[in-house]
Amino acid sequence: MNDELTTTVDQENQDDLHGRSLVFYIDDSFYGIELYYITDIISVLPIIQIPSLPHYIKGIINLRGKVVPVIDVRLKFNQEERPYDDKTCIINVLIGEMQVGLIVDGVEGVFTLRDSQNSLPSDAAKNGERYLSSISKIDGRVILNIDCNKFFQNDLQLY
Amino acid sequence: MAIDPSMEPMLETFIYESNTLLEQLDEILLESEKSKSLSEDHVNEIFRIMHTIKGSSAMMEFNGISTLAHAIEDVFFILRESPEKLSCVSEALFDVVLEASDFLKSEIESVQETSEANRDASAMIAELKRLAAIMRGETQDAAAAPAAAAPKAEEAPAVPAAPEGWRQVKVFFEEGCQMENIRAFMLMSQLNDWCDELDSVPPHPESDASLCSEIIKNGFLVKFKPSGSVEDVLKAIEAAVNIKNYELLEEETAKATASPEQPAKAAGQTSTTAAAAAPVAASSNATPAGGGNKAKQSLISVNQTKLDQLMDLVGELVTTESMVVGNSDLKGLQLDNFQKSARELRKLTDELQDVVMSMRMVPLNGVFQRMNRIVRDMCKKLDKQVDLVTEGGDTEVDKTINEAIGDPIMHMVRNSMDHAIESPEERIALGKPESGKITLAAKNVGGEIVITVADDGCGLNPEKLLKKARENGLLTKPESEYTDKEAFGLIMLPGFSTNQEVTEFSGRGVGMDVVRKNIEKVGGTLSIDSAKDVGTTFTIKIPLTLAIVDGMELAVGDGIYTLAITSIKQSFKVTDDRQVIVDTDGTEMIMMRGECYPLLRLHRLFNIPTKVTDLHDGIIMQIESGDKVACIFADELLGEQQVVVKPFPAFLNKYELKKLGLSGCTILGDGSISLILDANSLLDLQ
Repeated sequence: MNDELTTTVDQENQDDLHGRSLVFYIDDSFYGIELYYITDIISVLPIIQIPSLPHYIKGIINLRGKVVPVIDVRLKFNQEERPYDDKTCIINVLIGEMQVGLIVDGVEGVFTLRDSQNSLPSDAAKNGERYLSSISKIDGRVILNIDCNKFFQNDLQLY
Repeated sequence: MAIDPSMEPMLETFIYESNTLLEQLDEILLESEKSKSLSEDHVNEIFRIMHTIKGSSAMMEFNGISTLAHAIEDVFFILRESPEKLSCVSEALFDVVLEASDFLKSEIESVQETSEANRDASAMIAELKRLAAIMRGETQDAAAAPAAAAPKAEEAPAVPAAPEGWRQVKVFFEEGCQMENIRAFMLMSQLNDWCDELDSVPPHPESDASLCSEIIKNGFLVKFKPSGSVEDVLKAIEAAVNIKNYELLEEETAKATASPEQPAKAAGQTSTTAAAAAPVAASSNATPAGGGNKAKQSLISVNQTKLDQLMDLVGELVTTESMVVGNSDLKGLQLDNFQKSARELRKLTDELQDVVMSMRMVPLNGVFQRMNRIVRDMCKKLDKQVDLVTEGGDTEVDKTINEAIGDPIMHMVRNSMDHAIESPEERIALGKPESGKITLAAKNVGGEIVITVADDGCGLNPEKLLKKARENGLLTKPESEYTDKEAFGLIMLPGFSTNQEVTEFSGRGVGMDVVRKNIEKVGGTLSIDSAKDVGTTFTIKIPLTLAIVDGMELAVGDGIYTLAITSIKQSFKVTDDRQVIVDTDGTEMIMMRGECYPLLRLHRLFNIPTKVTDLHDGIIMQIESGDKVACIFADELLGEQQVVVKPFPAFLNKYELKKLGLSGCTILGDGSISLILDANSLLDLQ
């Protein structure tokens, strides 16, 4: 009985990353990022500013001895900046070999979005939503799924 | 051909060993070519190198490498027999062997990357065979002589056994102890201490794994001439591990056992092998091999990642140490004993750091050696005569630096060869010596390594450079305002290449800007000096250590900035308003002892909000780098601290923070991050 249970858990662990997303929110909108990219979530640490970077790159933090740049997702999405509170989180993602922290208003939880996934309405792509891969609905809430590669496309380009 | 998984652990050793051997080979070849002769030692050495590569690559199942090595080995085998044949093939031989060595290097590189090696070397092999044929063919009688000697071969091994003092011991290894050939070799090197001369059957057991079975079956026969008593040697044999038993053979039985083995070995190769391999090679080669081994025993090779890890750990240790000593809990306490112990700890961590740094140091010889090769090849292709002079090759730099500057130096040497050094005719017309000279020099000056690449070629022409820069739209101010030195600096700009045509060697779109970038990547600077018709000198300055610097901490607004102490000349406060001069552009300058220095306000430069904007309240630091001096203005001096430099995350690379005067960041004792100011680029800002 017990054995059976562990095998199912193991299987789940294997697919675990696939099709599951971390959902965070900014104001009233919910966004999902594939769990595959995420290394951890931390509360806001002191951020050291670096001159002459794009406004949405807030600076660097000391993540357990590693220096990691942080991006304010509000600013990246061209929204108003607001002071950080105790709900504010930094989601650390690993894209390629680069570690980047994303500052979001708060984290909702982890959801399996595979089954409920809908493709992106074709006109949405034109409407400037260039970071999204698809839109899902869970419990009546609309979740905009971020395509990590598109999201960082500009930042990953060299020069 | 993918490699056998069981071989994988050995792959790294194979690559390392082969590369070392090939480098040795290049060195020998170039040296010999210069002196136009091959000494007996060199021929033996090349033979040995090729033999080892052949054996190990055959073991790793890289057949291409092994056949090529075999072909070279054959050629040098003939040379070893009859050195006088060199004259009939000399030039061609050096060319083809160097080419083969390049081929082997690139094959080993591809092994390293893909674990495969499958390029075709048949052209080179054919050429080698042709050379071998020339050497053999031209001297039919000489070739016949060894053949005639062959029948004698069977007696030959007995002959060296006969002279006074030679003794023979047959050794059997424990069953199943494996690698009998290597064990036999180790035994030989152990015995080397006790014997004047040493020989074995089979000779050179280490080079051929297939000898294992032979050794298991027939035992390993050691012939030696003891320096002391025979007992000493026997004791040494007893002390060796994995030996089942041994017997001291009388000379009569020795003959009997030796002779059946010799033809067996000879059958594998040409009949001449037996005659040559046993008496000549073995006796002359076993000693240097044994001696070399003795010297090597004090060295071990360590995986570089382990060294990096150690370096990181020492870095962490330095950080933690300042975390403990500067702990805020201790503030305001009178702790004499604690301070004393803390100083002791600091001394030890400093020492530890020095030792770790020294472990990563490698001499520049390797890099310089490669340039020899390039100069030689280019001389031939370009029909120029150039001597490469190297100085200070024993200067040591960090391994990462050593790797990083190899390409830039090569590029500069190529540039000098291609563009600077004139053809012999032109040189004579100019009254210069016929052959040009490129000097590669390295020396350790203070905390920096200074490497210069100097040629005595045509020199840079400032007018030509300015004209070219104008064509490419690279000028930032009126032409007349450029000093010569600034004009020289133009060639380091991206998109600048003065050569009209793209040649095989330089000007392939990677110009001096790439060179400069690569040097800057390791924290170095590049400067150029030149005089028409006298020559050009490139000077590279690289900090000795990259990882840990003594820093001065400055506060600006909420942030903490670190400036390397070596770049600070002095710090002072402005007491007199007359010291500050503002010119018509609003540029502030500080007058000090009759000299004017531009003033950089860090808070303005980095756009940091701060309360300290009055020059009287803050602190001024005079910084210098190279020949440039300026003053920077910060809120406050916080103190001195040793910091571990961390590069900015790769994510921020495209913003070129270095150009803004920031070279990296560091984590301070309290876990906060400080940005590191780079005096050199700060001074370039104006």
